[in-house]
Amino acid sequence: MRTDRLATVAGYVAGFGLLFLIWHLAATLLVKSVLFPPPLPVLERAVVLIEDNILQEQIVASMRRILQGFLIGSAIGIPVGLAIGSFRPVRWLLEPWTEFFRFIPAVAMITVAVIWFGIGEESKVFLIAYTTVFVVVISTAAGVGAVGRDKIRAAQCLGASRLQVFTLVALPATVPYILTGMRLAMSNAFVTIVAAELIASNDGLGKLLWDARLFMQVEDIFVALVALGLLGFATDRIFRFLIRAFAGRFNATV
Amino acid sequence: MALVSLEGVGKTYRGRTGAWEAVRDFTLDLAEGEFFCLLGTSGCGKTTVLNMVAGFERPTAGRILLDGRPVERPGADRGVVFQGHDSLYDWLTALDNIAFGLRLRGTGRSARRAQAERYLQMVGLTGQGAKHPSELSGGMKQRIQIARALANDPRILLMDEPFGALDAMTRAVLQGELSRIWAETRKTVLFITHDIEEAVALGTRVGVMKRGPGGTLKAVIPVDLPFPRERTSDAFMAVFRQVHALIHDEIHGAH
Repeated sequence: MRTDRLATVAGYVAGFGLLFLIWHLAATLLVKSVLFPPPLPVLERAVVLIEDNILQEQIVASMRRILQGFLIGSAIGIPVGLAIGSFRPVRWLLEPWTEFFRFIPAVAMITVAVIWFGIGEESKVFLIAYTTVFVVVISTAAGVGAVGRDKIRAAQCLGASRLQVFTLVALPATVPYILTGMRLAMSNAFVTIVAAELIASNDGLGKLLWDARLFMQVEDIFVALVALGLLGFATDRIFRFLIRAFAGRFNATV
Repeated sequence: MALVSLEGVGKTYRGRTGAWEAVRDFTLDLAEGEFFCLLGTSGCGKTTVLNMVAGFERPTAGRILLDGRPVERPGADRGVVFQGHDSLYDWLTALDNIAFGLRLRGTGRSARRAQAERYLQMVGLTGQGAKHPSELSGGMKQRIQIARALANDPRILLMDEPFGALDAMTRAVLQGELSRIWAETRKTVLFITHDIEEAVALGTRVGVMKRGPGGTLKAVIPVDLPFPRERTSDAFMAVFRQVHALIHDEIHGAH
């Protein structure tokens, strides 16, 4: 177990090392353009941005929005998904909604969000919640539908009431699906936040990208890109860790 | 009075492709304390019979009585051991799985634990209580299922080919264990199987079903042999041959 973990970490370090090496070689030998800086100048620029407290501010701004919207979206999506999965009339009523809205990407809702909520925090949080909610609803509802028939029957013939079947069997059996849906929603949230900040924002990593483009600060663009990749990677790691911690015992395959 | 009575029970499924009569005019009385093996080829309706006694399905003809009262829905008075082990709760330990029924009725934590430990020991898994189902072998999972059903102290234990998915060696071991547990508890058992040897080794009576559709009880053979049963003895072989002759037509007719 311990050596497994060490090997995984070593693999990741080597993988990132290789990525930066290829980047370096491509930039210095192949492309040789100011439009494609090698990793070292980007790193130097990142250090400057960190010393000036600029990078941290943008990261905090973006992550705060993601987290708020994500939590709101999950808080709505989980109960709605459970209701859709459990009660047929609710499914008939609400499935058209989810099937309708999930094809309207959050990016397309940016204009509406800005008109409604302005350029401030509310529009971003709304967009992240919007992009989160449908993914969580669909995977939660699917999870409820996938609870094995024998699991429910076993509870019934042990004397479980309908409420007990729901709280003690259907709900815990659905937890892995809920967490998987949340994990997928998190990656959507990254897409959405950058798009929203590119178009309408006063700060955040998307704004950093946009300003860098305006003033042709190519290094800044790459700093923002690398920051996004690393943040996403770290967030997903945390999520996988949580899924293991809370759901490892729920489902061995997670 | 019989513990469980099936009186002219029938079950017909109606679907888009027409009606399918799974069980027809099935009549049987189960006495308190007996181990009844219901033997039949696949598709003869034996699992449908068990599902109706359990209350998972409703008969479309006749009625089923438990202690003289009609069976309408699943209840804690009928414990079920399923063929697959998908009925166990992956998120609970083996011990918590066994204690699940006690938890449902609000038994206190320590009483629950003590009771579950007792049944864990009965199925020969002492010390394995903290493991989750994913860490247990197929045979161990079936033991947990048996313990879970017994810990709830049902009037009757309904077993739906519980060893059908196990390898031959594990199956033989579990058959022996089940016999021993039954001798200890004298719980009434309805045991569904398609394995003649299993039926003769375990049952105090063996019911042979006609093949489907419209499966019904063809004959009931009392197995008056002492436990534990010596499978190579002449007496055992004689009963085996008797049951085999009865089911022979059903097997060959089914092809």
